[in-house]
Amino acid sequence: MKALTRPPTSLWVDAWRRLLKNKAAILGLGIIVLVFMVAIFADDSVVAVLAGREPQPLLAPMHFAKQSLENNNAVPSWLTHVFPTLKPVGTEGGYAKINDTYLLGADYNGRDLLSRIIYGTRVSLAVAIVGPLVSLVVGVSVGIAAGYAGGRTDNLIMRFVDIMYGFPDLLFIILLMALFRSTTGAAEAGTLRAVLTGIDNAMGGMFFIFVGIGVTAWMSMSRLTRGQILSLKQKEFIEAARAVGAKDGRIIWRHILPNILGPIVVAQTLNIPQYISTEAFLSFIGLGVQRPTPSWGSMIADGASAIRTYPNQAIFPALALAAIMFAFNFLGDGLRDALDPRLKGTD
Amino acid sequence: MSSRKVVVALLVLLVVIIAVAAWFFLIRGVGAPTVVKIGKIDPANLPAKETLSSALFGAGDIPTLDPSLAEDTTSIQMGLELFVGLTRLNEETAQVEPGMATEWKVSDDGLVYTFTLRQGIPWVHYDREAGEVVVVKDEQGNPRYVTAHDFVYGVKRTLDPKTGSNYAYVNWIIKNAQAVNGGSELGDQDPLYGKVDEIGVRALDDYTIEYTLTQPASFFPGIASMWINWAQPKWLIEEKGDKWIEPENIQSYGPYVLGDWTHDVSATLVANPFWPGIDSVPKPSIKYIHFTMLDESPSFANYEAGLADVAGVPLTELDRVKADPVLSKELSINPEFCTYYYGFNVTKPPFDDVNVRKAFSWAVNRKAIVENVTKGGQEPARWFSRPGLTAAPDPAKGDDFGPPAEGDPVKAKEFLAASKYGGADKLPEITLMVNQVEGHVKIAEAIQQMWQETLGVKVNLVTQEWKVYLDTLDSDPPQVWRLGWCYDYADADNFARGVFRSDSGNNHTRWKNEKFDQLVDQAAVETDLQKRHDLYVQAEKILVEEDAAIIPIYWYTRVQVTKPYVTRTYGLGGHEAYEKWKINK
Repeated sequence: MKALTRPPTSLWVDAWRRLLKNKAAILGLGIIVLVFMVAIFADDSVVAVLAGREPQPLLAPMHFAKQSLENNNAVPSWLTHVFPTLKPVGTEGGYAKINDTYLLGADYNGRDLLSRIIYGTRVSLAVAIVGPLVSLVVGVSVGIAAGYAGGRTDNLIMRFVDIMYGFPDLLFIILLMALFRSTTGAAEAGTLRAVLTGIDNAMGGMFFIFVGIGVTAWMSMSRLTRGQILSLKQKEFIEAARAVGAKDGRIIWRHILPNILGPIVVAQTLNIPQYISTEAFLSFIGLGVQRPTPSWGSMIADGASAIRTYPNQAIFPALALAAIMFAFNFLGDGLRDALDPRLKGTD
Repeated sequence: MSSRKVVVALLVLLVVIIAVAAWFFLIRGVGAPTVVKIGKIDPANLPAKETLSSALFGAGDIPTLDPSLAEDTTSIQMGLELFVGLTRLNEETAQVEPGMATEWKVSDDGLVYTFTLRQGIPWVHYDREAGEVVVVKDEQGNPRYVTAHDFVYGVKRTLDPKTGSNYAYVNWIIKNAQAVNGGSELGDQDPLYGKVDEIGVRALDDYTIEYTLTQPASFFPGIASMWINWAQPKWLIEEKGDKWIEPENIQSYGPYVLGDWTHDVSATLVANPFWPGIDSVPKPSIKYIHFTMLDESPSFANYEAGLADVAGVPLTELDRVKADPVLSKELSINPEFCTYYYGFNVTKPPFDDVNVRKAFSWAVNRKAIVENVTKGGQEPARWFSRPGLTAAPDPAKGDDFGPPAEGDPVKAKEFLAASKYGGADKLPEITLMVNQVEGHVKIAEAIQQMWQETLGVKVNLVTQEWKVYLDTLDSDPPQVWRLGWCYDYADADNFARGVFRSDSGNNHTRWKNEKFDQLVDQAAVETDLQKRHDLYVQAEKILVEEDAAIIPIYWYTRVQVTKPYVTRTYGLGGHEAYEKWKINK
């Protein structure tokens, strides 16, 4: 007898199947996995940290800070065919020094662009992980607290979120940076400022980016969570759970969370490009990671000033940034379609 | 009507005419016209054939037009077109030439300088509403001419502690000036504090000024050319306060007048029809000078698009400009009397140890920086006073000391090993701070990596915006910081004593060395050139070698592009003499 129905599957298996059919999303996922691999294996720090030695470049041809000043702005020969304005030395009006050891060229201090782009993935991906993590932990717990408790508590918490929403995010982050960075020289040992800037220095300047993104990213997540909970709270299966004597914690953990996870994951995936671009923007205006740690934003800023002379210095980091932004956007779109087919095609 | 009546009528008429004429000539003083119509200025739409558009200013507003408060090249550039000092430094030779003073005498003991002033140069103002350059009148309606009193007022205002001039210390060489300015050991408790009338400068008559100095100083005529000693309009400053420099108020007397100043965007100068033209400051040939306030890269883009006639060249574009068949002909690279250096805060560990300072200085490969990073024909600097200044040490004259141009990694490591820290891993965290400018950051990154590779020291690089940065240097200098110093008067005294004497307002190292102070003081009063040179060599050796309070990096050049239809001169000190330029469009 032919089965009329396929075996029952869970929501996640269904979603995964739908996702696999979405070519753009799979491409995005592929790029993201690839970039993660590149970031992890840029150098052998995984092994080196265990062995207690300085990491050596692995995927990257050389270390990001390795400079050879005499090779400043060197260009590989293939690039001169792509950019006709990049005329090699020796031709009429030619100025570009040809050196094929640098696959994408070298920057103004003779540092390999490809290596810097590869190491730069670490900054972008760190932001892509920490941003959602903070906003999940803080945003979802605040949202659950407000939505589940309801009444006065809900009102209080959400008004606080409203006030926080009033802050212009970027301005807030810039102020935070300016406050701590501009006073680095004056930080007295033992003060909170000295401790924070110490942490920041140890993280190559990423700490304040994390703080800035964390402080501003959780608000929309808490609103989303609260809305979802308000609508779920009244559903029959929650009533049923309550009727058989389930405690609040169990109801939230076992019944509510699994049901709101879909929209949360989608929202987070779609937010990641925003975190990445925030970091790139901050680095672009000089408030991001500290030099010489490469970030795509600061590489684009450096390259932009040379764009008419050495276009490769701005274009390659910009391409890398564009690729990962697209990848996260495609994946986010695909996830939304997969997790909630009714929303397909909507925004 | 009889003929007699006609005669009487004519006589009466004649008397009336004479009276009116006399009233005009004697009371109104209209010997010469006092108003010249220029027409209204639209800064965005100036006549191209009569306008020079200069993109040599950076981004950000002109800090000030007040001669007492100016301390940066942009403000001083504007000032040099609006005012003329008693003397004027030739922009190409840095030699002292007569300015508003036709001649000066010095007493036998070298302490008293008497300047004789040019007559008949009026204070003028550009009236934007009417589009006219107007001669300023006093209460009686007579034209105001620049007099010795205006110069004396300028000196006293600069030294008045209430004015808050950062450059006043240069004038401490004038009798009582240091005490009046609050620079004596007693500070504001000094009985002379704030008593500007006690300063050793006075007007003997309307056109003679006498300065009394505390010590002989052969370079004083150079100091007399400086903005802090220009004539200032007392009546205007007392009426308008710090708004006197705004375009609707300002009065000046130099080759140009201020036509327009759109803050943060542009400034326009108009040739002053009342400037008679003198040998050192001729009557301007170009009618309008238009300054834009843009960063280096957009400025250069404007130049390439034909929107600017002269511009600086950003580091990143230099390779292309040098190779381009057209731009390479428009490129000029000229020496500039400035020194680029890193200073240590010698009170902050680890730089309280001279061996650490030496290690950091010897680890820097200056030659690689000028050849591969700055690329503008700069010379690696081994000491602070730029060669070419009077009495300054000069490699061309065989002076050979200081950290080697190529650095010395072996010695650098030895110095670090000899320090009380013994090695890189025991050093505390180190911060290098520079102001946020593309070029400075690139150099800093290169040096950061040199320290990393040679000494194995990780240094944090922090940038700050120029104004904030200057505040930081004044209040609490970081461990290592960057500055440049350009000449105010072309003498080694302006570098060695002017910046690193222990009481100088420009010494941010907190480094003090009595022997150095003695040497530069002695060199200041010494008159024999060779002896002065030898004294500066000794002093510089202490500064960059024995105590290594700074890391000299390079001696500047000025890298510019100028359109071929502009005939120009090339300034040595960070500013240009636009009144000598011509356009042949």
